[in-house]
Amino acid sequence: MAMHKAWITLGCVGVLATGLLACSESEQKVSAEKAGDGSNTIELAEFPERPYWGDTHLHTDNSVDAFGFGTRLGPEEALRFARGEEVIATTGAKTQLARPLDFLVIADHSDALGATRQLYDAPRWYINWILRDETILRWYDMMHESPEQSARAIGELIAAAASGDIPEAFANDEGADARTEDIWNTQLSILDRYNEPGVFSAIAGYEWTAMPDGNNLHRVVMFRDGSDKTRQTFPFPGIDTEAPQLWEYMRAYEKDTGGRVLAIPHNGNLSNGLMFQMTMEDGSPMTAEYAALRAWAEPVIEVTQIKGDGETHPLLSPNDEMAGFGVLGWEKGNLDLSQKTEPGMYAGSYARSALKRGLTLEQQLGVNPYAFGMIGSTDSHTSLATGDEDNFWGKHTGNEQSYTDRSMKVQNLGTREGRFGWHYLAGGYAAAWARGNTRAEIFDAFARREVYATTGPRMTVRVFGGHGFTSADWDGDWVRKGYSEGVPMGGELDDTGTAPSFMISVLKDPDGANLDRVQVIKGWLDASGEMQEQIYNVAWGDANTRQIIDGKLAPVGDTVNREDASYTNTIGAAELRTTWTDPNYRAGQRAFYYVRVLEIPTPRWTLFDAVRFGVTLSEEAMADAVAQERAYTSPIWLKPRS
Amino acid sequence: MNLKLLLREPLLQFVAIGVVLFVVLTWGGTPPDPASRVIKVGGSERQKIAESWTLTMGRAPTDAELDQAVDAYVREEVLYREALRLGLDEGDAVVRRRLVSKMDLSASLAAETVEPTEEMLRAYLETNADRYVGQTAANPEVTFEQALFSSERAARNALGRGGTPGEATSLPALIKASPMRDVEARFGQQFADGLRGLSPSREWQGPLVSGFGWHLVRLTSRNAVPPDFEALRSVLANDWRTEQIAARKQRAYELLASAYRIER
Repeated sequence: MAMHKAWITLGCVGVLATGLLACSESEQKVSAEKAGDGSNTIELAEFPERPYWGDTHLHTDNSVDAFGFGTRLGPEEALRFARGEEVIATTGAKTQLARPLDFLVIADHSDALGATRQLYDAPRWYINWILRDETILRWYDMMHESPEQSARAIGELIAAAASGDIPEAFANDEGADARTEDIWNTQLSILDRYNEPGVFSAIAGYEWTAMPDGNNLHRVVMFRDGSDKTRQTFPFPGIDTEAPQLWEYMRAYEKDTGGRVLAIPHNGNLSNGLMFQMTMEDGSPMTAEYAALRAWAEPVIEVTQIKGDGETHPLLSPNDEMAGFGVLGWEKGNLDLSQKTEPGMYAGSYARSALKRGLTLEQQLGVNPYAFGMIGSTDSHTSLATGDEDNFWGKHTGNEQSYTDRSMKVQNLGTREGRFGWHYLAGGYAAAWARGNTRAEIFDAFARREVYATTGPRMTVRVFGGHGFTSADWDGDWVRKGYSEGVPMGGELDDTGTAPSFMISVLKDPDGANLDRVQVIKGWLDASGEMQEQIYNVAWGDANTRQIIDGKLAPVGDTVNREDASYTNTIGAAELRTTWTDPNYRAGQRAFYYVRVLEIPTPRWTLFDAVRFGVTLSEEAMADAVAQERAYTSPIWLKPRS
Repeated sequence: MNLKLLLREPLLQFVAIGVVLFVVLTWGGTPPDPASRVIKVGGSERQKIAESWTLTMGRAPTDAELDQAVDAYVREEVLYREALRLGLDEGDAVVRRRLVSKMDLSASLAAETVEPTEEMLRAYLETNADRYVGQTAANPEVTFEQALFSSERAARNALGRGGTPGEATSLPALIKASPMRDVEARFGQQFADGLRGLSPSREWQGPLVSGFGWHLVRLTSRNAVPPDFEALRSVLANDWRTEQIAARKQRAYELLASAYRIER
């Protein structure tokens, strides 16, 4: 018996010795091209020619919650998967994206980075006799007991973080800095190895995870630079810090390194009105300095992701019959559902109302703090950046596809009730109009807001705003004209005293569903300073049979077969484009215009699950199992001439 | 690399644990015997406890901390042996899963910090030439013109007239020296598959079907770049590393499994 064990051990040592030999050359060698920001590495187009697709919000097993939820895939697998390689998911099945992504930002939580893995790997006696913390010991035992118990432990941990009740040993974890530094530097090396100018941009970032009282104020921090600069910084903690401190950190990074960084707020829908306030964090009136710093730091927000869609709420936009996508469940309360949401909070939670608030604040302060563009991303905690409805791998490993009844399971964080699996969306993607695929070009598209959000499909949406665009422009080099005589999405137009016009071109996802309609959403301040909004249907499919009656466009129809989760492209259009001039322009108005594109109805992931796994959806879930996926562009702002 | 960093090196940790285990199990006398009522905490045990403390905390313990840890170890050892004596380890799924994942993880850690040499990568390319030739062959640079039609008949009629003009679209009329990967991203899989089936020619060909409609295509060039070691180097290194980790896990498992007779 003893001899037997000794042989096994010897075998292990043998394996290790082999590893040691191969390991003798341990310095990472990556070419300068791959390790930098990609400038001067590839030939760039004169103008952006195509949108590049990416996810700026992906968690790996380094995230404190992702590991606890069971994920055992790290940054390397995450990058391989995003580049289109086949990967084996934590729960065992092979999986692959139908189409590769062009860029990826790994955005692990800066707080307690790698902590759950370290906790999990620690000997129990250490937790029990040295740390002497009953809560941590309980979580430790739950993590080791079963995947379900582990997920529950992490739910408790998130709730504790939200309420400020994190155990002392976790909050003042003396190994945290060294561990974070180690993980950050390792990650930067892995990103460099997978970064390939012209093919795939592996972009550095992390998530700043502040959530006072469970109100979600999270931001993804995204860097333009290669590891020569990003190694000089360190993920900024979200616990006990506020957004202005994050912005100061960002400013210091740029000053110290000459690099560039931006922050992307997300899940304002779970902030109970705190994400886009009319005041500063402490409730005092907003200053111009604050507004300017915020506008500089946060040019883009993530408007749609797995934890719901934050474009607008039906109560905020009662005349928008397409409002409310991805709102069910999420509208009830803040992130951990520790506080219910009152209707009065919505205006500070959703993007459209925030854009309108920005106009008011700009009128008062001379600076618009909420002049942001919009993207989608996943916020997946599985290392798998899946955004397609027919290949959804869950919010975290505790609801990967192996858990076939995930759609009907209670999926609340912590122990409170209210949200079910089917409330989750399959996740969105970010589209960036860049001149080529490098870190610098992708980042710059974000910085100038020439980006847009989709709820997963890859439709090509192009918008130019200007004065005097006409339908005849489509016959010529309209892209050149758009750039030279107007501004693309994300840009600002001077109010010249005439109505602005827009060139809007939408191509369907080539491998996806047809288009239902293209809408322009206008927000403005009226003569008395009141915030207003209006939806214009500007182009739609089957135009010969569909009309606008009482301001509402006739529905496109529905081809979805609920029995087999299929649809047909026999309705709608493959391409829609138009030039549109604002019919209600008033000189001197502050306004923004963004484009919303709707696809024809298609099956949601819940319907695919129901068909594939034989799961019976509740009546409520079934009613939500078919949806019209969509895109939101960054706005173009009309600015009064000063 | 300073000592602190070195101590956090997973490979070194693993080797250290392996060596300790090996020494303990081979020459250190008996494996934990539930019947034994003697718990020895000599120099080697203290050292082991100190190492374990260091791995967890990222620094060496003070004397007081080490004493505390030794007390904890003794207490745990007593309870552990009692548990073994009661047979609590048998048939416990939690214990099983924990041990399995620990072994798997340990095997993969070793490969994560490895940097392959050029010779290793060249050999790897040679062994897997088919895969990389296939990948580059699937992604040639193409130059083509295309004209879009909303019906197959309109496309065929236009082909008879010499190709163009197509219907108005925002799809580009000319694609110049573009990798097929980009073509597929813009025109979709169906179109890309169709284009792969065409030979370059000065004539208009098609129609090829896509999500947008029917396309006539004038494919003027297609250049497949043969796989080049330098260009592929980083991809090779990443693929090699991923395979190494999987292989290492498998090898570690097989070594262990070879000591067992498995009856099915």
